[in-house]
Amino acid sequence: MSSVDTSPPGDERWGDEQRARERELLDVLASAPEESAEFAAAREELITMHLPLVHHIARRYRDRGENYDDLVQVGTIGLISSIDRFDIGRGLEFSTFATPTIVGEIKRHFRDRTTTIRLPRRLQELRGPVYVATEDLTGELHRSPTVREIADRVGISPEDVLEVLEAQSAYSAKSLDDDGDDDRGGVASTLGFEDPGMEEIEYRESLRPLLDKLPERERQIIMMRFFKNMSQSEIAEQVGISQMHVSRLLARALAELRAGLTAD
Amino acid sequence: MTNAVTVSFPAQTQYVSLARTMAAAMAVRADLPIDQLEDLRLAVDEAAAQVVLDAVPGSDVQCVFIESHGSLRIEVRGTTASGVVPATNTFSWTVLTALVDNVTASVNAGEVCLTLHVKRHEPVDA
Repeated sequence: MSSVDTSPPGDERWGDEQRARERELLDVLASAPEESAEFAAAREELITMHLPLVHHIARRYRDRGENYDDLVQVGTIGLISSIDRFDIGRGLEFSTFATPTIVGEIKRHFRDRTTTIRLPRRLQELRGPVYVATEDLTGELHRSPTVREIADRVGISPEDVLEVLEAQSAYSAKSLDDDGDDDRGGVASTLGFEDPGMEEIEYRESLRPLLDKLPERERQIIMMRFFKNMSQSEIAEQVGISQMHVSRLLARALAELRAGLTAD
Repeated sequence: MTNAVTVSFPAQTQYVSLARTMAAAMAVRADLPIDQLEDLRLAVDEAAAQVVLDAVPGSDVQCVFIESHGSLRIEVRGTTASGVVPATNTFSWTVLTALVDNVTASVNAGEVCLTLHVKRHEPVDA
């Protein structure tokens, strides 16, 4: 396998010198105490050193409709976890070891984020009106409207409304954290309840760390929906976001939890 | 009058979305408000995933959707590898019970069946 070119492409200066430096740094990671400044510096340098590799891999995926910077970011997560897991004793080249992990993170990103089919223009144009009609009707009826009611209001078919809702729930999840109607601190601080009903759940041992990994708002919404039995509309009102948004956050959080629970 | 629709798919996670899509379409037919529709979509997703994860490799999963008078019954059936009735003290079960009005699980002759019931919560003017 030593014939495989494992140098981070795009960096012509990656020669024996850098290879030796890489080895040195990996030795530091293997021997220095994790909390030492030396360890941190070596880790940092290794990350920087291999960023061209991440870029190289990310470039291969950049024509698939995802933001290039996002790909680099998730690829970097793969790189860092490779650095942290690398076992120098196994005699592998580091980049041989890291490449599959980086590729894996990027592919996982695609699986997680882009189950979304790109919205046809027609549906994109309907998104706004459907959203407005849903909010208006919710206010007027004091309940969540049906698809038929939304369709009548917008003047389109129920099938179209359903398509918009469906696309919406799969819609690129990355925008959810920063789409403006967010009030993270406020939500977190108004909901101080302590996990009612959680004790009875068998999965609590594995569930707890997974729940903790969710963004605060998603975690709160999961707790409200499943352990306080609030409806999506009630949650929407309390949190101050739309019911459609609650629905998307729930779907995403559940998918993450399930992926985590079944991972082992 | 009842209307039943059955979807059958290979017991693999990538097919679960079919069940989800069908659930939403049937929820429209039953005129469920969209928060119930979205809940149902999640519930069917969860139930189907549960059945798929415990399915005998190579087997199929069936989702039967039965609509009548503003209520829906959904049966998710598959061949169980463990032969064990899904436990009710799991997170998955908690999710299911929160999302629909009623959920039951049974195992008969190697076939697991999760049955979900959902009824329109509030009257909707025709």
